[in-house]
Amino acid sequence: MAYSDKVVDHYNNPRNVGSLDKSRNDVGTGMVGAPECGDVMKLQIQVNSSTGVIEDAKFKTFGCGSAIASSSLATEWLKGKTVDEAMEIKNTDIVNELTLPPVKIHCSVLAEDAIKAAINDYRTKQGAGVSAETVSH
Amino acid sequence: MVSGPPPSDYFAIFGIEKKLALDLEDLQRRFYSNSREWHPDRHARASAQQLAWAEEASATLNDAWRVLRDPVARAEYVLKGEGFDIGEQRGKDVPPELLEEVFELNMALEEAREGDANAKSEVVRALAKFEGLLSEIDSERDTLFVEYDAASARDTLSRLRALLNRRKYLQNLVRDARATLA
Repeated sequence: MAYSDKVVDHYNNPRNVGSLDKSRNDVGTGMVGAPECGDVMKLQIQVNSSTGVIEDAKFKTFGCGSAIASSSLATEWLKGKTVDEAMEIKNTDIVNELTLPPVKIHCSVLAEDAIKAAINDYRTKQGAGVSAETVSH
Repeated sequence: MVSGPPPSDYFAIFGIEKKLALDLEDLQRRFYSNSREWHPDRHARASAQQLAWAEEASATLNDAWRVLRDPVARAEYVLKGEGFDIGEQRGKDVPPELLEEVFELNMALEEAREGDANAKSEVVRALAKFEGLLSEIDSERDTLFVEYDAASARDTLSRLRALLNRRKYLQNLVRDARATLA
């Protein structure tokens, strides 16, 4: 089965590979994995906490071409979106954009899970940050 | 001499009850003794039908021996017989705290492949840790075996399947890591 041109492009030139400082309060980290293929995906967002806009996104994925392409595309889409808008990204959007075949749909699910996990981590940190400030006052 | 069509069930062909915790020495004794009994030489004067049954019994016994002597294959056989889908594995079975370590190991493996000597020692360390986890999983598996044999609870089998999925995941990882170090 051949990969689509877009998958090949993202695989050969993955966008936004790398990592952000996960200890920072404005960085959310999502780590997900799929045992059936051994894929592991780390996706991070850096959010402007006053506007809620995602200013940077990075990923690192160990897995097949479709998993790498799905997370690479996800980071492209995340930048410039607000956290609420990012929450709306669906795996089917990724499937359509990359024309993933049915056997590779789980890769897009993994990417959606990673986005949600990163956002949840960011929100948890923000919540925790607020209460920590309250306590210190 | 075989007096009727042999069972196709792997436990029945050994003449034992379905159990997850098996005495392997007993299993081996039964394997040899049944193999001898069903050997074609012992059926020199048997009818064609009896010889066919004996051959069928031998073939099932060989398959059963391969499966039942291996704890993982044995558990999968029982799970399958109870209607669990062995192929279906979900990401939930890998706990997030393990995921972090899996990711770190993958990072170290990548760096080691690129020739980073420090990364190699990190892989060795991680490998030892994951091998330790594997043996923990194996003793947890043996506990679940005993639990299932005592009560035949479906819930025990669900937990067993989740455990085996985790084991498979870790084993793939350890295999990759070993291949990189070799």
